[in-house]
Amino acid sequence: MTINAILNGRVATALVMLLIFLSMTVMALGFTEKARLMPLLVGVPGTILGVIELINEMRATIRQVEAGDPVDALTRAERAMFGWVFVFFLGILCFGFTYAGPLLVFAFMIAGKKESLTVALISAVGTWAVLFGFFEQMMAIPLFTGLVVEWLLG
Amino acid sequence: MDLTGIFDALLTIVGSPYHLFLLAIAVPIGMFFGAIPGLGGKLGIVLVIPFVFGMDATAGALFLIAMHSVVHTGGSVPSILFGVPGTGPDAATIVDGLPMTKNGEAGRALGAAFGASGLGGVIGGLFLLALLPLLRPIVLTFSPAEFFLLALFGITLIAMLSGDSLIKGLMVGFLGLMFAFVKLDPQTGIERYTFGQLFLWDGINVIPAVLGIFAIPEMIALGAAGGSMAKAEKLETSYGIAGVLRGIGDVFRHWALSIRTSIIGAFIGMIPGLGGDAASWICYGHAAQSSKTPERFGKGAVEGVIAPETANNSKEGGSLLPTLFFAVPGSSGMAILLGAFIMLGIQPGPGLALTGMEIVWVLIWGLMLANILAVIMFIIVAPGLGYLSYVRGNLLIPFVLVLTFLGAFLAVRAWENLVLLSLLGTLGYFLKKYEWPRPPFVIGFILGPIAEDSFHKAMSLWGPAFLLRPGALVMIALIVLTIGFYVFRLVKHKPKPEWLRDDDD
Repeated sequence: MTINAILNGRVATALVMLLIFLSMTVMALGFTEKARLMPLLVGVPGTILGVIELINEMRATIRQVEAGDPVDALTRAERAMFGWVFVFFLGILCFGFTYAGPLLVFAFMIAGKKESLTVALISAVGTWAVLFGFFEQMMAIPLFTGLVVEWLLG
Repeated sequence: MDLTGIFDALLTIVGSPYHLFLLAIAVPIGMFFGAIPGLGGKLGIVLVIPFVFGMDATAGALFLIAMHSVVHTGGSVPSILFGVPGTGPDAATIVDGLPMTKNGEAGRALGAAFGASGLGGVIGGLFLLALLPLLRPIVLTFSPAEFFLLALFGITLIAMLSGDSLIKGLMVGFLGLMFAFVKLDPQTGIERYTFGQLFLWDGINVIPAVLGIFAIPEMIALGAAGGSMAKAEKLETSYGIAGVLRGIGDVFRHWALSIRTSIIGAFIGMIPGLGGDAASWICYGHAAQSSKTPERFGKGAVEGVIAPETANNSKEGGSLLPTLFFAVPGSSGMAILLGAFIMLGIQPGPGLALTGMEIVWVLIWGLMLANILAVIMFIIVAPGLGYLSYVRGNLLIPFVLVLTFLGAFLAVRAWENLVLLSLLGTLGYFLKKYEWPRPPFVIGFILGPIAEDSFHKAMSLWGPAFLLRPGALVMIALIVLTIGFYVFRLVKHKPKPEWLRDDDD
């Protein structure tokens, strides 16, 4: 049985959890005695539980593969949604809420969900009204303008 | 009991048009999030977090508690009209609510649900009010030793109750604790896991953490499912206001049952981790068992709607007790609410019993007033509730995403939080997809600083012998019993009851 066959989403999630605990525990060893006490108190049992869970998941996957059952994988729709979350993150990070927010909502409606132009426009305007109208104007809360816009404006 | 303080808090709300306005907008928002299957109260709270940013603590807390306390009132609508629970705890309402709709009694079922929810919410608030004088001295007897172990007990209990695997639950709870240690060490001031990032010196803010673990995964899942909130069956649901009023009358005709199930619900709400699912199913079972005609249950008995609905709302009053005074959230919804309270500057814990009772009274009144207001609003909009089935997820996803990023940014006004949110959102989705319970993360994260502070205090006061104090021994026994119960259940291969499976609340 190959590593690829075993390394499905379940096993990978358990592995990531184990690695988080392991790395945080190892890092804690470099702290002073008082500072590392609680991280070690939690990190060591967390790492042990992580090893047990990883073994559990691997055994379950091996049984699944041997029985010929389909192994969990990310669907195309899930990958698309991850892509959209990344686009929203990048858009807002670069161009801020007021500029990127309405555009992203519009783009998601049109390109992501094939909504009509009217619905997409109304949603984008509504988003702009909330972000600019409600937060920036009414509540006087200045929103993040985006790294690119900040750089362009100096 | 400080009667002046209690009534001053009521005056703070009803004497201020601003507070009344906040109540009036929080209630329909809460009902909306409850009424749309797939959204729920947790998501509702995380989404309004940007909007309460900048409010004073009283106004913000009032807004959030009002919204949170009526979520299940809204959740009864799709349960009764379409057979799809708006939130997990509303599932019990379907058993008799849907048959009533099929029998042409949709209006009566809705009226019973609204009336029961309102009454349950008010009794839950009164329950909390009555218990506070007893609870205050108990809270104040807790030493750091008990608080440290209480934090561990809270994580263990919720880890066990919110998923099928105790190991997964504990790991997620421990992960929350570990993330809470990301900051300058409070004892020595040295950097822990900050990677030289200034924005992490004060720790990871609770808002991006909660939004990442809950909101982003929900939106990815909703989008991946095609944006459909629920596979609702469209039934013939025409009904008039007379039927709704008749249903409300039923709540008072069955007054003894209504009061009993409200008290049971409030009591269950006090037990961290049990939450609404347990309360509604236990109360439904109680209604069937105590009925002279139990054969009517499941076929459209109005008591089958009243019992779970009173419990759903009354448990919110009960769950405020551990949430506010021990900082151990009664449910995952309360965990998020707790995070929002911290953002508003309200620090839950025993200190609240000493110096923060004003805000506690405001929360109790807010909870009761919101429930009453929800009944009135529902009666007004009752004829149009069937349109809720037409709400499409596609229209909400992008807007929710923007608000999620906005909430993460506003928490500490740091763009780095957007990065943190995306990373935690990715982790949160895989936790959701592969059945790792997420509520223990929030609870571990919130309890982390309390646990660490209490641990160091206990160690400096008593050394390792703090574990031998009577209160500490009780806590250790509770932790051992919790794990023992889980192992016993595992060995016996008993299937877990339905209400323990859902982490919706």
